[in-house]
Amino acid sequence: MNTPNDTLDCGHSLADLSAYLDTGQIDDPAHLERCPECQAALASLRNLSQLGGDLLRSDVADAGSGNDDWMQSILDNLRLELRPGRSIPLQAEHPDDTLWESEGAVSALIRSVADALPGTAAGKCRLQGEVTIMGAPITVEVEVAVVYGHPMEERAAALRDELARTLATQTELNIQTINITVTDVLEPPAPVQPTDTPATTDPLNTEDQP
Amino acid sequence: MTEFLEAANTSPVGGSAAVSTALAEELLGLVQAVEGVHSVYPAQPLWQSIAGAALAAVTGEKLPLIGLVETGDTLAVKVRIGVSASHPAPAVTRKAAGAIRRHLLPRAAVVEISVVQLGS
Repeated sequence: MNTPNDTLDCGHSLADLSAYLDTGQIDDPAHLERCPECQAALASLRNLSQLGGDLLRSDVADAGSGNDDWMQSILDNLRLELRPGRSIPLQAEHPDDTLWESEGAVSALIRSVADALPGTAAGKCRLQGEVTIMGAPITVEVEVAVVYGHPMEERAAALRDELARTLATQTELNIQTINITVTDVLEPPAPVQPTDTPATTDPLNTEDQP
Repeated sequence: MTEFLEAANTSPVGGSAAVSTALAEELLGLVQAVEGVHSVYPAQPLWQSIAGAALAAVTGEKLPLIGLVETGDTLAVKVRIGVSASHPAPAVTRKAAGAIRRHLLPRAAVVEISVVQLGS
């Protein structure tokens, strides 16, 4: 995976984390236990990997090599949203308490809700508005890629309802609007053509087949 | 994100690293015991303490999970937590702040808690 400037603020890159998912190897494994940004990235990459596997029968690293615009767009947005971002205030019971949620945590939550829908991968997830001001009107912008065959309107309505419910529970944002845009419809893998020659190799490895 | 800035006249809690460490451990236990808190992350984000992170990697010493800074009579406590999806994060955060504040009574405290991960 070659995503320009894909290094997170903690120093790890999406390529590092993708390689970790593939191999289990990373320079500082203990870091992953204490870095919420890396944990959010791993969760999203796992979903992308699963979707990529379902869709492309290849791993996310190959799919994100720059030849697939939809995957590249998702990775670019993922990199941006994994930064902590703005501090979103929560009501405190004591005047000397300061309670926050990071914008990155809320974006990752939105992404996880969208990713939880089968055949769906979240692209851009943005909070529009003055999130640092308690009660300011906020618009949620979510872009998703869906696998062909899933009903889009029904999918968007379900996602909107779930996001509204989740954000009302997990934040104190004054959500005014949730805009969901389907930016990519992904074709499922072509059915394997029957051949006269019995398969003698891994059926998932089609590279050697005509 | 709001930075945790140390005032000019600050010192580790109680003037002793051992006391500071002990109090930080007590507060860590309190926060971890709050229902819905699934993780406590180093109080200082890693990109703000690269040198400390590098040193910790070499020495094996864990980065402090609870930030404590004493300014005059007031103790500033900084915590970064992850909250599980099954619990409302705002309420969990307020519970954690209340637990810290009650534990420190009658001492004056300034408590800052950031939720940096929502859901497990």
